[in-house]
Amino acid sequence: MKVNVEGTAHFRMLSGEQIEGVLSGAMEILERVGVQVNDEEMVKLLQEGGALTEGENLVKIPSSMVERALQSAPHRVVLANRDGERNLVLEKNRIYFGTGSDCPNVIDPYTGERRPCLFDDVLRASKVADALDHIDFFMSLGLVSDVPRMTYDRHQFLAMAMNTKKPLIITCIDRNGLSDQYEMACLIVGGEEKFQANPYFAVYAEPSSPLTHSKEAIERLTFAAERGIPIVYTPGVSGGATAPVTMAGNLAQGLAETLSGLVISQLKSQGAPFIMGGVHTIMDMRTGIFCYGAPELFLLSACMTDISKELNLPMFSTAGCGDAKVLDEQAASEASLSLLMAGLSGASLIHDVGYLESGLLGSLDMLVLSDEVISMVKRILRGIIVNEETLALDVIADVGPGGHFIGKEHTRRHLRAEHWLPKLMDRTNRDAWEKGEAKTMGRRVREKVIDILEGYEPPALDEQLLGELNTIVAWADERYRGK
Amino acid sequence: MSTLVETISREIVSGHIDESIEAVKDALQGEIPPQEILDDGLLPAMERVGSLFQEGEIFIPDVFFSAKAMHESMNILRPLLAPSQSMGMGRVIIGTILGDIHDIGKRLVGTMLEGAGFTVIDLGVEVSPDAFVQGVKAHQPHILAMSSLLTTTMMNMGVTIEALLKAGVRDQVKVLIGGAPVTRDFAEEIGADGYGSDASAGVEEAKALIATLKGETGKGE
Repeated sequence: MKVNVEGTAHFRMLSGEQIEGVLSGAMEILERVGVQVNDEEMVKLLQEGGALTEGENLVKIPSSMVERALQSAPHRVVLANRDGERNLVLEKNRIYFGTGSDCPNVIDPYTGERRPCLFDDVLRASKVADALDHIDFFMSLGLVSDVPRMTYDRHQFLAMAMNTKKPLIITCIDRNGLSDQYEMACLIVGGEEKFQANPYFAVYAEPSSPLTHSKEAIERLTFAAERGIPIVYTPGVSGGATAPVTMAGNLAQGLAETLSGLVISQLKSQGAPFIMGGVHTIMDMRTGIFCYGAPELFLLSACMTDISKELNLPMFSTAGCGDAKVLDEQAASEASLSLLMAGLSGASLIHDVGYLESGLLGSLDMLVLSDEVISMVKRILRGIIVNEETLALDVIADVGPGGHFIGKEHTRRHLRAEHWLPKLMDRTNRDAWEKGEAKTMGRRVREKVIDILEGYEPPALDEQLLGELNTIVAWADERYRGK
Repeated sequence: MSTLVETISREIVSGHIDESIEAVKDALQGEIPPQEILDDGLLPAMERVGSLFQEGEIFIPDVFFSAKAMHESMNILRPLLAPSQSMGMGRVIIGTILGDIHDIGKRLVGTMLEGAGFTVIDLGVEVSPDAFVQGVKAHQPHILAMSSLLTTTMMNMGVTIEALLKAGVRDQVKVLIGGAPVTRDFAEEIGADGYGSDASAGVEEAKALIATLKGETGKGE
């Protein structure tokens, strides 16, 4: 592990040779095994681009096609907020943290009860995410369940956009759902041209491991490519179940899935913004759970980030999540380890902050705890600066043996930049802590959640605009009525 | 118990498929009655596998191999057993629901059901409600098992149950559902008969459904 302590600290997991090995493996998988592409038109397009096809939908992709796609994909992708401010510049070693999406359940912040996620829960999540300093982008956290099933995604998008200005990553039920959300987003930012200049959201899509691109995934890839909407293409790779049990094989196969998605996106539209990803983890061999708190996930995510830098593509990584059922000691350990690892790796978008129960439970508690951990991680990432002023030799000479530094101007001058300041972590002495009701971290976290929910005013959408957005949602509901 | 039967048991527990088949053939050549091979060899082996798994001594892939060994051994024994035994536990049709191609869990459950003595007919992935209805009509299963990994597609399970009702075949079959986002509450909400929180729980639920089926109708095979 190499640590650069001048400015940003970051590490590398893989050597250049290891990266080459995994890349070569991915290329070999694409040429020898191929990928299944469940879309006739796309199979044809791939064939015309130089791929070999077998049967109806098995496509073998030569490495030259992958190389062409890597050349044409942009090396930087920008995401803007609701006001068009270009807040996220996805480039090497610029890191941003955000939530995950579509957990079927939430923990009710008032009753502590675990229950299905409702529209109001996504409103709460977007409000909390907006209030937190270290959450840079927002995914829905929960899957809205109290609206019509076939149009849930438009409702969910509305709940996301209503309570936060931050850039979004959205999911959709199908092409129509994506199209409606795109229309809503364009309405918000002031038209299609404005969206394309400063994309307000990226679209989430995933291949299905092993080595399959579903019709739904292709729909998302092509819709996004045609309109210049950034796409996050991210396989969920389950080591030992949907991919080899060995870490290298897990990486190579997932990378083959991602790179074939890149080829599809670039064939559809050269230069289409593409963010690579991958939740590369293991299946727990006792429970069958797809692990979100496994050290292998943290390790593989950092490895894939190394590979993304080699490929010059932005990376969608994973952290701040776990397999714990509530915000307990396990959850805190999972959040801390994963956030530090992902931060040090230098991934572009680090998502799933707030996931508990292996992605089945979206937790505002986990989100708020992680926000504090992220701020610690960012302090570590800032590293140290070594120069005359920071070495402080004159100050040391001035104080001399036996003196103190509290009364030095140098201390006052640098303390705010050099010391991380806790907001939730407790550093009081025992007496003070006990006088403050001896609150555990869990209680302090929940109180902050409630404080935000009760006291924070998110930047509201214009009333008339909200009305127009609601009309689009209502039209969609009408179209699908009875289906 | 004869050492030949003990060998079968040991090979199945170890998940040695070829060796299990050989051991069953050896036992038959040694003129051990098929029923005894089943009762003293195969069935205790799978019980042992179940308890080793519960204790955390062995893992899902180990169970998978044992279930395969059990299934292959049953294929040899089945023609030799009395008809009342040869049908095993019951028939299951299984598939992932419309819109969902994730089938690793379904395959695991299928294999483990076979290991537990069920006859499994795999309808594949993205099985439409209509295809499930046709499957019930064609195969007359005791259990229809369906799974969904995605939260966005799991509602199609309810649509499938409605289709069974419309086609008038709902009461001919027990419906068992599973998949990561599925819960017992959800199963009740859409009117399924059973739910498995993971593969082994799914197999236990299938056994329980067969037991109630026998209780309800007095039939059984």
